Amino acid sequence: MTGHAGGTATAGQGSLLEVRHLVQEFVLRDYGGAKGGVLQAVADVSFDLRTGETLGIVGETGSGKSTLARSVIQAPPPKHGAVIFQGTDLVGLSHRAMKPVRRDLQMVFQDPFTSLDPRWTVSRIVAEPLAAYAIGSRANRRERVNSLLDLVGLDPATYGSRRPRELSGGQAQRVAIARALVLEPKLILCDEPVSSLDVLVQAQVLNLFEKLRSELSLSYLFIAHDLAMVRQVSDRVAVMYLGRLCEIGPVRDIYRRPLHPYTLALLDSIPNPDPAVARREADHVISGELPSPLDPPSGCRFRTRCPRAQELCATQTPEMRPLGADGHLVACHFPLSGAAPAPAPAGAQADAEPAAVKR
Amino acid sequence: MAAPVASLAMGVPGADPSAPQRRPRAQGLLRSLEITIPGAVLLVLLFFCFVWPLVYPVPSPTYGSVLDASLPMWSPGHIFGTTNVGYDNMARILYGGRTTFEVAAAVQVIGLVVGGLLGVIAGYAGGIVEAVMMRVLDVFIAFPSLVLILAIVDGLGQSELHVIWALSAFSIPAVARVARAGTLRLRDQPFVVAARLSSVRAWRIIAGHIVPNLMPQLFTFSLLGTGIIIILESGLDFLGYGIPDPAPSWGGMIAYGQTVMSVALSPLVVPSLFLFGTVVCLNLVGDGLRNRWGVR
Amino acid sequence: MADPLLEVCDLRVRFRSRGSVVHAVQGIDFSVEPGQTLAIIGESGSGKTVSAYAVMGLLPPTAQVSGSIRFKGVEVVGLGEKALQDHRGRNAAMVFQNPERSLNPTMKVGAQITEAVRRHLPLSRPQAHERAVELLRMVRIPAPQRRFHEYPHQLSGGMRQRVIIAIALACEPALLIADEATTALDVTTQAQIMNLLLDLQQELGTALLMISHDLALAASYAEEVMVMYAGRIVERARAADLFGNVRMPYTRALLDAIPRTDLEPHVLLPVIGGRPPDLSAVMPGCAFAPRCPDVRQDCREVVPPLERHEMDHWWACWHPCAKEAAS
Repeated sequence: MTGHAGGTATAGQGSLLEVRHLVQEFVLRDYGGAKGGVLQAVADVSFDLRTGETLGIVGETGSGKSTLARSVIQAPPPKHGAVIFQGTDLVGLSHRAMKPVRRDLQMVFQDPFTSLDPRWTVSRIVAEPLAAYAIGSRANRRERVNSLLDLVGLDPATYGSRRPRELSGGQAQRVAIARALVLEPKLILCDEPVSSLDVLVQAQVLNLFEKLRSELSLSYLFIAHDLAMVRQVSDRVAVMYLGRLCEIGPVRDIYRRPLHPYTLALLDSIPNPDPAVARREADHVISGELPSPLDPPSGCRFRTRCPRAQELCATQTPEMRPLGADGHLVACHFPLSGAAPAPAPAGAQADAEPAAVKR
Repeated sequence: MAAPVASLAMGVPGADPSAPQRRPRAQGLLRSLEITIPGAVLLVLLFFCFVWPLVYPVPSPTYGSVLDASLPMWSPGHIFGTTNVGYDNMARILYGGRTTFEVAAAVQVIGLVVGGLLGVIAGYAGGIVEAVMMRVLDVFIAFPSLVLILAIVDGLGQSELHVIWALSAFSIPAVARVARAGTLRLRDQPFVVAARLSSVRAWRIIAGHIVPNLMPQLFTFSLLGTGIIIILESGLDFLGYGIPDPAPSWGGMIAYGQTVMSVALSPLVVPSLFLFGTVVCLNLVGDGLRNRWGVR
Repeated sequence: MADPLLEVCDLRVRFRSRGSVVHAVQGIDFSVEPGQTLAIIGESGSGKTVSAYAVMGLLPPTAQVSGSIRFKGVEVVGLGEKALQDHRGRNAAMVFQNPERSLNPTMKVGAQITEAVRRHLPLSRPQAHERAVELLRMVRIPAPQRRFHEYPHQLSGGMRQRVIIAIALACEPALLIADEATTALDVTTQAQIMNLLLDLQQELGTALLMISHDLALAASYAEEVMVMYAGRIVERARAADLFGNVRMPYTRALLDAIPRTDLEPHVLLPVIGGRPPDLSAVMPGCAFAPRCPDVRQDCREVVPPLERHEMDHWWACWHPCAKEAAS
């Protein structure tokens, strides 16, 4: 089950990050400590991320996307599988052995007000990683912190001595981004970094991510619940459902020619303010409720809500296989192939067929 | 996942959560009467117990003439009267108060430092370390407090220092529990995860992130517990196991007052009022600080 | 032309907190017709939620409300608590953002619905039970008889929100207010719930007032959209007009900030800097002036009034965006 970047590159060549058959489980304990059940938050996920590219991972509640991110940074380490970062498998590395790795791998969390120590000043927060690695003298560090604050759009003189509660959501998130950048990492995991921000501020921070990406040649693993937002920043997009990867591919392809029914449902659910684009009746593409992650459906986990499900879907778990454009893989027995005329997604180009109009 | 909903849930409706909130610190503290008034009372008490005898010739609490025995309240030269052997009650209140505050302060400091350290280490380390530590502390907590303290003092012998050890055996596990719970909560916060992700060493995380964020909670817990410590200490004195006679203590005075209750009420009422007032003020200050700092 | 269901005139809401005054709503006028779908859009601090709470009579005692809110001709501002309790539930009902917080976790779902039903309607227990099951069916919860006896934690987020909607509709109110009702839900669930609300509207003839920060959601599902900024209404238009013919620069900025799936990736979104103003001071001039890309001198001096400049399109701006060329 490989999901490499596509083209003629073989897995491993030019890949910054390779995730292979990642499994993460949580044991739920009843009162008294007895084993209550096992929650398989991430089930056999594999993908590649090349240097300089941004991979967007989209999923709704229970998809396991945040757990996936935590597993990549080994907090906590996954149950099974491999996370090969710059050639080294991180799984099983001791805390000390991970130290050099962490310089190149950092994370930005969703809520800046809990990811920044409320009692520390901004300068101290951003300087902390430098202190931990004993990089530079105090003066050097201060300089570096100031230049980073400038880079993320915060004036060091004004904001350096402030505390997080004196900042707005957008400003606090910028501080978190500056902290993630201070060690000059190669890859940054962004766990829904703009979801808790106001609309206009979201756009500002997304632009900042873009600017930094091109100026500092960063790679991102960008996690979001919103397909629209991920499109803005990604080169490739992966869709997750209940712990499994449904589809992965180049961003234009995913949006114009989605192959997995769940991806189509996600696209159709995006509200579009353009009245020229018709709104689909959501019940036509997805029905029912999310199954319990403790007891996921057999075979394909999406089959209980899929309008195309057949018997095979219950008995056999679909494997990721290439279909359509280069680098586009899908795990589905009956994908929406490019051959059969698929109903037009709401977010697609204007040349798609008009769908049933609700209002 | 959700965009912030303004307003009412946050207490100041319409307030923009993206606007910086700066609270004037000291200014606000002095304005809240629920803290300043009891705080002032405590400060006055402390002044009289520790400073006043240094500047004013207060009669000795353990020396007196039998000729002045059992004087009633408001007698000239002895505002609170005297004991049956002529010791001045006012002096006994002041010096007894000294003991009370000394013991309380010492026990709280020991409790905070030792208990806090144990709790934080247990909470952060987890695993077998935590399990062992907590079980040992559980043994202490399982004993009814007075029984535990009596046993220790009985074993060690009566003295102010031993009373302090005994009461510490009570306060250390209590603080440790609170510290551990707080550490567990803080350990999973993203800013601690972020620090670990930046390879910050464990002790630096504890010292820089965990302890400072835990301090308000521990401090108010301590403050509220001081009232209990004082009562326990007085209880020991009352039972005759605490500060040995003839050194004055409020509990001891209450015990004496109990014996002469049928004849005169003031030897019982006066030390009781002081004890009551002190504990109430401590509780009010502790509660007020807890409300201000938003500690759970 | 039927009488409007809800008429708000010059509504002003102020909050006193620790010596400072917050002007949450600074004089808004709008009306809702029976059966209409109106969306109020704004960011945090725009005053949209406070306005909705004022309509429901849910503001805390620290709020000073002035102006008029007429529901079917009856004034709501200044009503006593008893009358307000009748008003809430009977006339207007509200669905909140967090289904977890709106439902009592220790009470079975069915019991919570019957409780709401019996508070307003004189029904016996078995009648209320029947009505509750009917309501569960109406909000498209499968196996309603069984769900009646379940606890909230046994239901998914989407289903809990459906239960809240069922409770809100228990007495068939004429107005349903959805305060960020789908913000905490998944995208697919959001679409399901929005479609449910619209279907219920058609079935029951209820008017729907949607409060949201999501302009795309509003424009997609509502007939008319009202945009609020810093306590005032800055634009109101039919959903179709808003997209193609936006006038107020703030609305333009909101639209531009929506990440769109038809744009090229890695393109920077057009954004404006700054933040919404502090509401403790009433500023002269347009509240958006400090951030507006088209600001002129008169914008800073005089507050532009909300006026109907075109058919079904109001805006409050001295120098609105130019009319877009018809494509």
